[in-house]
Amino acid sequence: MGKILSVIKREYLQVVRTKGFIIGTLLGPVLMALIIVIPILSSMVVVPEQETIGVIDSTQEIFNELDKKLGYTMKDGRRRYLLKKYEPQAEIEELRNDLRQKILAKEISAFLFIPGDVAADGKAEYVSEHVSDFDEIKSIHEALNSVVIGKRLKKEGLEPQKIAQYIKRVSLRTIKLTKKGEEEEDTGGTFLISYLLVFILYMTLFFYGSIILRGVIEEKNSRVVEVILSSMRPFQLMMGKIFGIAAVGFTQYVIWALFGLAASRYSRPLVSSFFPAAEFRLPTIPAYIFVYFVIFFILGYFLYGTIYAAVGSMVNSEKEAQQLLMPVSLLLVVPMLMIVFILRSPNSSFSVILSLVPFFAPVLMLMRISILLPPFTQIAGSVVLLALTIFLMIWLTGKIYRVGILMYGKRPSIKEVVKWMKYK
Amino acid sequence: MNALEIENISKKFDSFYAVKNLSFQIPEGTVYGLLGPNGAGKTTTIRMVMNIIIPDEGNIKVLNQKMDEEMKGRVGYLPEDRGLYPKMKVGELLLFLAGIKGMKGEKAKQEIDFWLERFDLVDWRDKKVEELSRGMQQKLQFIATIVHQPELIILDEPFAGLDPVNTKLLKDIMLEMKEKGRTIIFSTHRMEQVEMISDNICLINRAEKVLEGNLSQIKKQYGKNTVLLDYEGQASFIKSFPEIEKIDDYGKFMEIKLKEKADPQHLLSELVGKIKINKYEIREPTLNAIFIDKVGERNGKDPISH
Repeated sequence: MGKILSVIKREYLQVVRTKGFIIGTLLGPVLMALIIVIPILSSMVVVPEQETIGVIDSTQEIFNELDKKLGYTMKDGRRRYLLKKYEPQAEIEELRNDLRQKILAKEISAFLFIPGDVAADGKAEYVSEHVSDFDEIKSIHEALNSVVIGKRLKKEGLEPQKIAQYIKRVSLRTIKLTKKGEEEEDTGGTFLISYLLVFILYMTLFFYGSIILRGVIEEKNSRVVEVILSSMRPFQLMMGKIFGIAAVGFTQYVIWALFGLAASRYSRPLVSSFFPAAEFRLPTIPAYIFVYFVIFFILGYFLYGTIYAAVGSMVNSEKEAQQLLMPVSLLLVVPMLMIVFILRSPNSSFSVILSLVPFFAPVLMLMRISILLPPFTQIAGSVVLLALTIFLMIWLTGKIYRVGILMYGKRPSIKEVVKWMKYK
Repeated sequence: MNALEIENISKKFDSFYAVKNLSFQIPEGTVYGLLGPNGAGKTTTIRMVMNIIIPDEGNIKVLNQKMDEEMKGRVGYLPEDRGLYPKMKVGELLLFLAGIKGMKGEKAKQEIDFWLERFDLVDWRDKKVEELSRGMQQKLQFIATIVHQPELIILDEPFAGLDPVNTKLLKDIMLEMKEKGRTIIFSTHRMEQVEMISDNICLINRAEKVLEGNLSQIKKQYGKNTVLLDYEGQASFIKSFPEIEKIDDYGKFMEIKLKEKADPQHLLSELVGKIKINKYEIREPTLNAIFIDKVGERNGKDPISH
C-alpha cells in the first residue's frame, strides 16, 4: 500500500505542476462562463445597423401598412428598417435594374418587389446582397405576409383583428410533476446545464484517459518502468497511476466547483451591474444530479482509465496509440450521439438498455437522470454493472499491462495480446 | 550462506526457451559474473530473480527467502535498459525511488546527500533529469540502484555504454560494496571486466548453463598451455606449426592455444629471429578465449548460423 501511495503522490505532483494542467484548470471555467454569457451579452451588445430597403409596390396599397409594421426602432431611437418607396414605372424591369445598381452601390441594402397580383398569386421578391440573415428576412417576410392577408380578409369583408383573435395560438405551460409536487420548470436552462455536465464528464474522461496513456508510454519510452518494477508489482504501478490521475481530476473538479459556486453567487449582481437591461438568471439544478455526476464520473474514470493504461502498455508512441484508441473513442462517442434519441424518449426500452451498457452508462445514465429521473433500480443496476465491469477490466488490463510495459519494438497483434494474458 | 540460490529454473516464450533448467548459487559477499553472448538468457534470468517475470518451473531463493515485494527493498537492480523519469528533478526522483524501496524520511535524504556528493552531482539536485548529460544520468542511475543500501545488488550489463571514467567509478563502487559484505551479481558479454572483479562466474549460452564455478579454478582446469604473444612483423607462418591447436590473431597481439603435450619453449625458439617479440607469456587462457571456445564450439555446430 505504501508503494501505491508513493506512486500516487508522484503522479499527482508531476501532473498538477505542469503548465497544461494549471492553464486548463483556470481556463476551463472561463470558457464555460463565456459559452453561457456570450450569447446573452451579444444579443444586447451587438447593435444592428439601420437598413434602407427599397420597395416597389405595384399594388399601391401595401407600402403604408408595411411601413407601419416595420416601423419599430432600435435602442438609439432610429428605425431598424427604413423603407423607401419607388413608384412602379411602365418599365418595371428597368426600375429593378436600377435598384440592383443601387444595392451594389450601397445606397440601399435590399429591395422588395411586390407584384400587382400579390394577393391572388401570393408571390413577392426580395433582392439583397446577403440573404443569410434569417432574422431580417423573417421579419420582412412576416410583415408583408400579415399585410397581404389583412388585405385579403378585408376584401372578403372580414375583420383582420377579430380573425387574429380567433386564430390566436394556445400557450402551453410545462410543469414537471415530481414526488414533491408540481414544479414549474425553466426546461431550457436546466437542460442546458445538464447537457453541459454530461459534456464535461465526456471531455474529462477523454482528457484524464489520455494523461494516463501518455504517462504509461513515457515510462515505457524512457525505460524507467523496469526500475520501478524492481520495487513493486506491475499491478501496483498501474493502480497507483490510475489513482494518482484520479486525484488530479478530483483537484480540478474541486477548483471548478468553487468557480461554479462563486459564479452562482456573484454572477447575477455582476452581470446586471454592467448590463442593467440584461435578463440574466442562472438555472438551478437539483443537488442529486451533482451527486450522480460524481458517482458516474468516478465509475467512468476507472473503466476508461484502465483501458487507456492497457493501451499505453501495448504501444511505443502516442501515434501508435491513436489507432488502438479508435474503438475506445467510439465507445465514448456513441453515447454522445445517442443523446438526441434519449432526449426524445428517455424511458423507452431502447434508452433503458443503452444506458445500462457499462461502457455507455456514465454518459447516458447521467443524461437520463438529468432529463427525467429513472427508477432507482435502473440507476443502481447500471452502477452495479459498471462496478463489475471495472473489476473485470482491471483484472484483464492488469494482465496485459504487466507484459506490455516490458515489450519494446513492434506493436503486438490481438493474437499476441491474448497470449500475454495467458502468461504465468 | 548463499545470497542467491537458483534451482532448475526454466522460462519459455511460446515454443522458445529463454532459460532452460538453470541452476547456480551465489555465496554472500562475493561478486558473481553472469556471462553469455547476446540473447543467451541473462536478462531473462535476472528478471526472474527480480520477480518481474515468473519462471515456468524451478525455484529462486533470494537472501534465503522466496522473492516477494518486501524482499525487493533489500535488492538493488540496474536494468539493462536504463531509464529515469526525464521530467523529474534529480533529488525528488531519488527520494521517490528510495521511497518505493522502503527507505524514507531523513535517512533517505542523508543517503541521497552522501551519494550525490560522492558522484559530484550535488549542484544538479534541483535540475530535471533530462537536463543532465548522458554520463551524469548514468551516475544517477547507479545511485538509484544502491541508495537504499541493498544487500544484494544486481547489475544487468552495468558497463555497457560507459566512458572509461565512469567505468572505473562503477568498478570502484562495486568493490567497495563487496568489502561491506554486499553480494553483487552482474551480467555482461565483455570478458575483461569479469576477469578483473568476479569471484565466480556462470557462462550461459542458448538458454543453458555451459560453465560455472570459481574463476581461478576454471582457468586452472584449462591448464597453462596458452601463450600470449606481443609482436611486430609478419607472423602468419605460425599457423602452420603442428603443435598449435588454435590461434586468435589481433595483428600485434596473439593468443595461441597449444596442443596438450606441446612445449611452449619450442614454439618460442621457432619464433626467435623471424618476428620481433615484445612479450612472450605462458599462462592460463583468458576468459575471452574460454568464452569463445565454449560458445563458439556450440554455436559453430548450428547450420543456421553459417
